[in-house]
Amino acid sequence: MAVPVYDSAQRGRRALAIGPNLWQQRRLVGLLLRRDLVSRYKRSLLGMWWTLLNPLLEMAVFFLVFSHIFRRATPGVPYVVYLLSGLVLINLFRQTVLGVATSMVNNGPILSRMYVPLELFAVSAAGVLLVNFLASLIPLLAFMLITGTALPATLPLVIIPGALIAFLGVGIGLALAPAAVLYPDVTDLLSVALLLAGYLVPVFYPISIVPVKYRLFEQLNPLYSFLESFRGLLYGGSFHPASAYAVMLGTAAAAMTVGSFVFSRFGRRMVVLL
Amino acid sequence: MSVEPPISVSGLSVAYRLPEHHHSSVKELAIGAVRRQLHWRMLWALRDISFELAPGECLGIIGANGAGKSTLMRVLSRVLPPTHGRVVVRGRVAPMIELGAGFTPQLTGYENLVLYGALLGRDPRDMRRRAQAIAEWAGVSEFLEAPVRTYSQGMQARLAFSVATDTRPDILVIDEVLAVGDASFKRKCVERLAEITSQGTSSVLVSHQTTLLRNACQRLLWLDRGRIVACGETKPVLADYERSMETAAQAGRQIPAGTGSQSAAAG
Repeated sequence: MAVPVYDSAQRGRRALAIGPNLWQQRRLVGLLLRRDLVSRYKRSLLGMWWTLLNPLLEMAVFFLVFSHIFRRATPGVPYVVYLLSGLVLINLFRQTVLGVATSMVNNGPILSRMYVPLELFAVSAAGVLLVNFLASLIPLLAFMLITGTALPATLPLVIIPGALIAFLGVGIGLALAPAAVLYPDVTDLLSVALLLAGYLVPVFYPISIVPVKYRLFEQLNPLYSFLESFRGLLYGGSFHPASAYAVMLGTAAAAMTVGSFVFSRFGRRMVVLL
Repeated sequence: MSVEPPISVSGLSVAYRLPEHHHSSVKELAIGAVRRQLHWRMLWALRDISFELAPGECLGIIGANGAGKSTLMRVLSRVLPPTHGRVVVRGRVAPMIELGAGFTPQLTGYENLVLYGALLGRDPRDMRRRAQAIAEWAGVSEFLEAPVRTYSQGMQARLAFSVATDTRPDILVIDEVLAVGDASFKRKCVERLAEITSQGTSSVLVSHQTTLLRNACQRLLWLDRGRIVACGETKPVLADYERSMETAAQAGRQIPAGTGSQSAAAG
């Protein structure tokens, strides 16, 4: 085996090395993923059931408040399915951004004591939330069955907007992770911003209640495209609107590019502050 | 074994670039940025450090608290990037910095053992194969299925040490880890380090224990406030160091800057 050489003078190609690095380190990523899943649920009463329960509880709150108002405003689909589908997707986005952005802070004790590529922790954080997302599809499907909503053939493809919104979240999270080490309140501000981002798009309200003059503003938000295509595949049985796919691909790719650049440039420098 | 030095450090400086305390939040930062008043405080932890480690050598690092010893250990284990200068490390490094600090309390000893090894660059499959032997050396084999949060500090340190030294690394970077644990554990550690060193591993060792330094190290590097005071054979450097510490203790103040250049000339 070749002797590994670390030369501090050789830098700069790291952004491009992330892909092969991940493949090389897949076993370590697997262990980290397992650690994150276990440490999240091991000491709780309900364990993994929390994953299923969380979106349901949130849904229950919204449902109690809004079901009377919006009952007839979501044509073609019961309000509860409309609501839960929106929550499941927007929560994947919110939690991925937050999980990746805090991945350096959360692993401070390890990162400040041994050399491990920083991005492995971000990937593991995102992986946990993708698992959560897949698990939360179970109650969603259950509600579709209960309410008699037809399950179209396009349903398994919901993983496409799911994966793309996860990439968007990872990209934004990577860009913010170094800042979250530098300033602790970045995380707080981010939580608020993500909450607001969820209200700016039709998650729990139908777009039809938005005054026409503000609708364009909502539709220009990339998150709108993710929600539309997700719901289209989930219960609409269509790839409508086609333009959403271009928006999703574009924003996810742009976020990943900017995020990896910022992260590889500033991430290692922030380790001194951990 | 190549004749190239396992570690060569030239002109190394490390600054902790800290934001000035008057904007420790984003809001204040934004205000500062608008007013173009972004201030960074450059805290130099290491200044212009150069040395080489010979193959098979054990180099001790000494100095008062805040001298930059731990920063140097972190740079050598790749955790911190140099601000200036260059560091070249040839070979597999086993960093031992605050043993057990990387453990996850909720996971079992076994799970932590495998993860810790993997974080140090070992294949998880090898770790699973070696788990029993590693736990046995650390004296925790009965507790492998218990979560690490139930372990004592000493048990955690023993387990981490056992994982880190399970295969012979090319270079050991040891930061004061032998200060924890009881006497018998320390003896076991020193024995294992001696065994590893005799097989060709080079090491850099931070310690305040003069006996250990005298027995294990061929050379000492004396740091004070980020600069090299002296670097040379263990005996004379240690004697100078102890004398200066005594003087400082008697005077009840910091080591005078003048002492540095004198002993550098002597060493």
